[in-house]
Amino acid sequence: MTAAVRMTPARWTLLVLALIGAEAANRFGGAGLSLALSEMLILALFASSLNLLMTYGHMVSFGHAAYFGLGAYGFTLAVTRAGVPVEAALVLGPLVATLGGIVFGALCVRLTEIYFAMLTLACAQITYTVLFQWYGFTGGDTGITGFMPARFGLSEANFTSLVLAVLVVGLAILARIINSPLGLSIRSVGQDRWRAEALGLAPRRVQLTVFAISAFFAGVAGTLYAVFQGAAFPDYAGLGFTLDALIMVVIGGLRSFWGGVVGAIVFSQLRHWAPLVTNHWGLALGLILLAIVILLPHGLTSLAERLGLRQPRGGRQ
Amino acid sequence: MIWVQLVNGLMEGMMLFLIASGLTLIFGVSRIVNFAHGSLYMLGAFLTYALVPVIAPGTVAGFFAAVILAGIGVAAIGTAFEVLALRRVYGADSLMQLIITIALVFVIRDVVRWIWGANSLSVPMPDALMGALVIGDTYFPVFPFVIFAAGLAVVAAMIGVIRFTRTGILLRAATDDRGMAALLGINERMIFTAVFAAGSFLAGIAGGMAAPWGDVNYLLDTTVIVSAFIVCVIGGLGNLYGALAGAMLVGITKAVGVLYFPRLSMVLIFLIMAVVLVARSLGRQGGPAR
Repeated sequence: MTAAVRMTPARWTLLVLALIGAEAANRFGGAGLSLALSEMLILALFASSLNLLMTYGHMVSFGHAAYFGLGAYGFTLAVTRAGVPVEAALVLGPLVATLGGIVFGALCVRLTEIYFAMLTLACAQITYTVLFQWYGFTGGDTGITGFMPARFGLSEANFTSLVLAVLVVGLAILARIINSPLGLSIRSVGQDRWRAEALGLAPRRVQLTVFAISAFFAGVAGTLYAVFQGAAFPDYAGLGFTLDALIMVVIGGLRSFWGGVVGAIVFSQLRHWAPLVTNHWGLALGLILLAIVILLPHGLTSLAERLGLRQPRGGRQ
Repeated sequence: MIWVQLVNGLMEGMMLFLIASGLTLIFGVSRIVNFAHGSLYMLGAFLTYALVPVIAPGTVAGFFAAVILAGIGVAAIGTAFEVLALRRVYGADSLMQLIITIALVFVIRDVVRWIWGANSLSVPMPDALMGALVIGDTYFPVFPFVIFAAGLAVVAAMIGVIRFTRTGILLRAATDDRGMAALLGINERMIFTAVFAAGSFLAGIAGGMAAPWGDVNYLLDTTVIVSAFIVCVIGGLGNLYGALAGAMLVGITKAVGVLYFPRLSMVLIFLIMAVVLVARSLGRQGGPAR
């Protein structure tokens, strides 16, 4: 059901316009807007990493924040406890997340469906609990703060441009992966693992590969987030961040490459503006989710299909 | 000390079983993983908080009456949710079912904060349950024993219903083979609703019974749901006796683990869960409720 990522002229135009719009807003919108924008873009990368796992790998992770948190702590601990230079730590963060993804993923891909989801939840909770309770090493619930200036001391607008660049490169790599032969086997295993096995693929190995790639990009997002905040807290690996990412993907729409990005934008905006309209953000979010699941099960990107921006399914898969 | 913790562990295990049994029953029959089950537990605790001062405060009978009424209230809310929302996604992608129950988590959490505020509240313990039992030279609080016994009564009633009544037969039929049960003229839709109501009731009374033992706050939902998932997964989703064993294992590990590895007790439980999951390689589905 999930197709390769195909860029039509209309989509290129839309993408370029969106990028110009984002950068213009960043440059001329003031520091507050730049900060909100960079947080949103980091979450967009995080949600896109989960989207890869869910849309193309058909694996529903309930513990994706583990890799976000491992990225943030991998970076932070490397700087504070190991004295690694910041530039090297920026690489270490995503690597730690990938390593975590490989170890946990190796366990998780042995299971399917709801048991898979439960085991990812368990792995994330183990990560969260260790980060929370290992006071001597991770600082416990107070986290690690003040080890470097937030955003490397870059101006808000410059940091946001950096995040935007990382997001664009990340999405390009993800699209490249999905369009590659590896991406074909990922989609094949996602659609029907038994058929894929009959065709000579090794489903578990493919699934583990997707898991590791997904963990890597979640780790990049987590590392960026630690830089953004200039701090790391156990919450980064907590259930809250996982649920946020899941909600973004669902709002944006499963079955679309852009689901994570669109979901992150809409969710961030909702969370930002809702308090001005209502005191009951939770209630509003719950009702929005209910409406989406019941009325628009493939999310907001499926609306684009109707506007002709997205090729209807049934074309070249 | 270890004996006191053991008793506490048994009580917590019983509470966990009441929650997990509802979760596992619902999963067994309708294949829905109800993420809002912890929220229903929390709601039970808050409703009990609201009802205890109204119904004969301080007495044991009044307390249990309040708990049962709270359970009925929670069951009514669960039923409304099932009929109005959940029913529309049976047979859909399992992710959609999960998300719809997550939506309920946000709604309940917000409404609870709206009504009762964000502070921790405490439900007064009935006077008669405040004392302690002296065995040898150890003081055991009475409350855990009573709650354990009450839980045992609920469990016995539940197993009795499932095993010996017509409702139980229908339920087991629907769990074993949904399609065949429907073919034989069993009203699936009614069974799903009834099971969801019963599961909500169990979560509600568990929340109510445990309320005097700790804080009642709006953060209970996630802690409880994570523990309940662990219990269900250890026992095999859909398996009632598995859930009982899992609940006792988790309850006792938590209570006794706190004595020896205060920092590690939660990690210990997740490790048990991970080991069970990997060792049993539960790929396809859990066992049915029997």
